[in-house]
Amino acid sequence: MINEAALRSRETDQAVAPRPSPEPLLRVENLSIRFDGAPKGVNVVDDVSFSLAKGKTLCIVGESGCGKSVTALSLMGLLPTPPARIVQGAAYFEGKDLFGLTERERADVRGNRTAMIFQEPMTSLNPAFTVGDQIAEGIMRHRKVSKAEAWERALEMLRRVRIPAPEKRLKAYPHEMSGGMRQRVMIAMALANDPQLLIADEPTTALDVTIQAQIISLIRRLQEESGMSMILITHDLGVVAEVADEVAVMYAGRVVESGSVEAIFEDPQHPYTIGLMGSVPSLGRRQGRLATIRGSVPPAELMPKGCRFAPRCPFAEARCATEPPPLVDVTSGHQARCWYAPLEQHRGAVL
Amino acid sequence: MLRYIARRLLIALPTILLVSVLVFALQQLLPGDPVLTMAGEERDPQVLAFLREKYRLDDPIPVQYFAWLTQVIQGNLGISLRTDIPVLKLILTKLPVTIELAIFAMIIALAIGIPAGIISAVKKGKAIDYATNVVALSGLSIPNFWLGILLIMLVSVQWQLLPASGFVPPSEDLWLNIKTMIMPSFVLGTGLAASLMRHTRSAMLGVLRSDYIRTARAKGLLAPVVIWKHALRNALMPIITLATLLFGELLAGAVLTEQIFTIPGFGKLVVDAVFNRDYAVVQGVVLCTAVGFIFMNLLADVLYVLVNPRLRHAR
Repeated sequence: MINEAALRSRETDQAVAPRPSPEPLLRVENLSIRFDGAPKGVNVVDDVSFSLAKGKTLCIVGESGCGKSVTALSLMGLLPTPPARIVQGAAYFEGKDLFGLTERERADVRGNRTAMIFQEPMTSLNPAFTVGDQIAEGIMRHRKVSKAEAWERALEMLRRVRIPAPEKRLKAYPHEMSGGMRQRVMIAMALANDPQLLIADEPTTALDVTIQAQIISLIRRLQEESGMSMILITHDLGVVAEVADEVAVMYAGRVVESGSVEAIFEDPQHPYTIGLMGSVPSLGRRQGRLATIRGSVPPAELMPKGCRFAPRCPFAEARCATEPPPLVDVTSGHQARCWYAPLEQHRGAVL
Repeated sequence: MLRYIARRLLIALPTILLVSVLVFALQQLLPGDPVLTMAGEERDPQVLAFLREKYRLDDPIPVQYFAWLTQVIQGNLGISLRTDIPVLKLILTKLPVTIELAIFAMIIALAIGIPAGIISAVKKGKAIDYATNVVALSGLSIPNFWLGILLIMLVSVQWQLLPASGFVPPSEDLWLNIKTMIMPSFVLGTGLAASLMRHTRSAMLGVLRSDYIRTARAKGLLAPVVIWKHALRNALMPIITLATLLFGELLAGAVLTEQIFTIPGFGKLVVDAVFNRDYAVVQGVVLCTAVGFIFMNLLADVLYVLVNPRLRHAR
């Protein structure tokens, strides 16, 4: 809580006074990405902004296809272009605009200052090479070390991710390991060069429930040890509550609500966030539950001009379908993209 | 690994036996009477009977088969009915020529086909992809004999760079041997390069979409490492399958190409033997080819295991 307050006051300082303040590790500004062939004006990621301070964790939540992974991949420079195209925006990482770098410069950052782990541990490792080889090659790519030193470091990484019998595992092939073990290898690989930023794209979705908790607590511990920042993409709100400092809720390519984890859980403002929580809007008396969000994300051709959530929103009125709502500051550092935000001022309209 | 190979060889045995039965049966079904061919104009029934007796052609067929098989196992493939030369000796003089031609052709095919396939997969949809595809399609559509004749006219007749035809054993004159091999192996190799390129391209396209390629790039690895190490290694399986099959076909003899460049290889031996109803030679050649194919399959199996560690447990 104290950290939260500190973080929030720092952001306010930045907004109010031009006084020099600590630059966040990552600052994404107005990022829009479109896929070739999508209808005009419908971006798969639309005007997304967020920032991430050193050592903090940002959770991006939202249902499948809402642009979470595309955002993450674009930050890593792993988005296939074409068909994807960054139409506007910037991502400042350690002071440099990632999108302004050459392909070679981006490759020097990738796996070095930034690293990523993926959803599918079963297919994310190359079946043809040993685990040790795959960890060591990333180390040798970014550091001037001998092969023996790289393998030594790979062994150390396997120890750090708590893989039993790491000496033996170095020479094992991915198919000789379980999904949970492979995800540990992926984590070892990602962290081998001590990145400042780890992007974890649904790292536990494909794993057994018992393994999920182990992997999350492993990531959490490694983050505390190294002090790196993390973007965790997930739709598991339990995980969000556990690990997030900041939360960004995405819907159909837009950030519909963002703020500290406390703000999002205690005072959700956007109907979509509320729907995700499966909770009741905190307005006066009980009005019935929003147990599920009806319908599904509209396809690109049917994307409404106004609020993209309007067709599914229980509170939508005429204006919602035609005019895109502005990003409203609910409190400092807590923003929602809804005509009704902040909710307290609109209880008449809702009721 | 040795145990794996031994097991594969053991599995190959029944196949070879089956082939031997087929080879033997086929020749029984062939039209024409070898005795009549041997006797030539002479149709004296006594001579015919003598020949039948000599070659045991009146025995029941299973007896003939086992007699034949016993001989084959001892390395005796019989004697050419036409030339009176032992079939094994005939084959052993022709086979090295064909093997040399096949190896050269395969080297050319691999050296062109695999890089071209990789480039067109990596540059999918770009000009160079279309260009290599057009070239490959032409390579597939141009018949060997036409390309061969064209090359002879241009390279040998017009420019006088290489000998138009003939064969010189490498033991006699290595340089001349290589010079005579260049054009025929180029003609054979380019034809195969086209299909190798197509298969490499589709295998690479599949692999390049995989998650582990994204992981390799996420490590910051540069494109050449991602493509030549991570992708190619996984695309090799279908390429090995095709390459060993093609090599087996090359061993069976490139009839047309050998004919054009008058190379005394396997292909020519087969054609001559069939025309002359020289059954012993046909049998020997077919058996030899079949064993060659089985051997190439074995080679493919061994290569699979080397390339794909997942198969090592199947030992």
